[in-house]
Amino acid sequence: MNKSNEENPFVPEPARIVRKYDLSDDVRFFQIRFVDMEKALSMRYLPGQFMMLSIAGAGEAPFSISSTPSRPGLLEFCVREVGEVTRALFRLKENSIVGIRGPYGNGFPLDKIKGNNLIIVVGGLGAAPLRSLLLYALDNRDNFGNVYLLHGARTPSDMLFKEEFLELKERDDLQCLLSVDKDPTGDWPCYVAKVTKLFKYVKNVNVAKTYAAVCGPPVMYKFVIEKLVKLGIPKHQILMTLERRMKCGIGKCGHCVVGHTYTCIDGPVFTYWDVTNMRELI
Amino acid sequence: MAAFKIKKKRLKELIDSLTKEYRVFIPVESDGVSSFKEVTSDSHLPTINSHNTDRPPKEIFFPQTETLFTYKEGKISPPEQPNTKYRTPNTDKIAIFGASPCDVKSFSLLDRLFGMERNVAKCSGYKDAYWINRRTNALIFTIGCNYPLSTCFCNWLNGGPFTKEGSDLLLTDIGEDFLVEPCSQNGEEFIKTKGLPIQKAAKVDIKRASTVRKEAESTLSEPVDITSLKEGLDTLWDNPVWNEIAYKCLSCAACSYLCPTCYCFDIQDERAGNARGKRIRVWDSCMFSLFTKEASGHNPRPSSKERMRQRIMHKFNYFVENLGDFGCVGCGRCIRSCPVNMDIREVINTIKNVKLTISNEK
Repeated sequence: MNKSNEENPFVPEPARIVRKYDLSDDVRFFQIRFVDMEKALSMRYLPGQFMMLSIAGAGEAPFSISSTPSRPGLLEFCVREVGEVTRALFRLKENSIVGIRGPYGNGFPLDKIKGNNLIIVVGGLGAAPLRSLLLYALDNRDNFGNVYLLHGARTPSDMLFKEEFLELKERDDLQCLLSVDKDPTGDWPCYVAKVTKLFKYVKNVNVAKTYAAVCGPPVMYKFVIEKLVKLGIPKHQILMTLERRMKCGIGKCGHCVVGHTYTCIDGPVFTYWDVTNMRELI
Repeated sequence: MAAFKIKKKRLKELIDSLTKEYRVFIPVESDGVSSFKEVTSDSHLPTINSHNTDRPPKEIFFPQTETLFTYKEGKISPPEQPNTKYRTPNTDKIAIFGASPCDVKSFSLLDRLFGMERNVAKCSGYKDAYWINRRTNALIFTIGCNYPLSTCFCNWLNGGPFTKEGSDLLLTDIGEDFLVEPCSQNGEEFIKTKGLPIQKAAKVDIKRASTVRKEAESTLSEPVDITSLKEGLDTLWDNPVWNEIAYKCLSCAACSYLCPTCYCFDIQDERAGNARGKRIRVWDSCMFSLFTKEASGHNPRPSSKERMRQRIMHKFNYFVENLGDFGCVGCGRCIRSCPVNMDIREVINTIKNVKLTISNEK
């Protein structure tokens, strides 16, 4: 019998919160591991995929995976405290058990991106899925051309993974461009500008051999995509990971449908070509 | 295929014999509402209305509220699991006696979505164990509609008051008897069961059935041709016609709750104390604004216009794209239940006319 027929995809597996710490006022970082060690080490996933995380009694919600599959064992998530599930998650201590199921979604098309330049454009919580892709590219550095990180946050204290990304500035195989919209304390060591202003540092790229990956608040997409299109990157090489209310993660419950596609199985990674051809996507 | 007949007086015997092997569901009227109920020892005969019930039998396979699993002290148990954690409830076989052809067709459509083995189209690769466990080996006795309602339009959708899609046996009311025609292998097998109160049909019975069917079909209104409706909708996304269609919609969702092919659901947790509770799934509807509202507050379908467009597009465009048929069987329940008299047939006509205007302008 087909394996997926025997299994019941609605039932989560127990997993343990190994470590947690705050990334900003309302965003917390969680390292989670399947209780079943074999499962923890054997789970395969792609950057850009997500998992359904559940807290018994509070419910279940989808979260992008922030860790990279090139470092197996631990799954990492950044979570903003904003609803019932996340409030319950924030109350949990290290060593608590949660339920997880997945991975779901298409993820980034690594096979296509490999061998090309990669421009990663992050706005705010967009770091959650894109950190996975960035770390994957850095762990497999030889498989990629030039790699750029264009990162925007409102203020230095809103920036997720601040120390980690600031350290990346030391690397000479990554163009790490970090900016904040405002710098109230005046000690921010990088750019103070909108993320779109960072494109002037992206020079002399062979656009035909370049992929871009974008994730941020809905308002950011329009302006960032304008820049990428102006740069000359083909529409189908501009990748974005999108958000929708999701419930089942397996293309049944209907919440995340956009046109005839389901964000949970056909996405959440879509190309700009998809976006221009499918209404309501962003 | 051979035809048989059963005396109406002997229906109870047939149903009694079914209950030995199946959980049997029959149409029953209570408080003026007809719906399907499970036969218990004291229950009566099915209410045969010669048209579809008020509530569709969808809930037999896809209950309005269903426990996905229970949890206790961090331990998760799918309900009534005998051996493995992957069992879902109800491995008992289900028989439905007296469903209408439109509703039976809806089972086949939902089979495609939920990933039944025999009818796999695009089901995202994930199979829904709860639906499949109930559907597997289910036996469906369809009763054709001698008197379709004025709201019925199954004939627009490749259906009719006596179509067989999804049925195991089709019954036709021919007066004192039902003509019984097996129309699947399961149906053929069942008819061989020893001691059934049935006999071979005579030529005159078959002729009578054919007359009854013709009469029933003639009472339906002339079908509107919707073969190019999907393609028409492809061009209508930005059309102002959606304002016109949606302006009176109250977003009450009665249409989708009573729709035999609507399947959207929500997943929620119900607490029963601190460490105990269950995760349930409940019917949901794209007509509610909360259906798409994200935690951040962003809502991709903020007004009834977008939601109405979604429902119509889903049934007549996306469903065709993904599952190969219209997501509507023409049962007419949405027309009967709408508090503001929205008529999906008028919506279809409006859409068709918009398309005509455009092609005339070219």
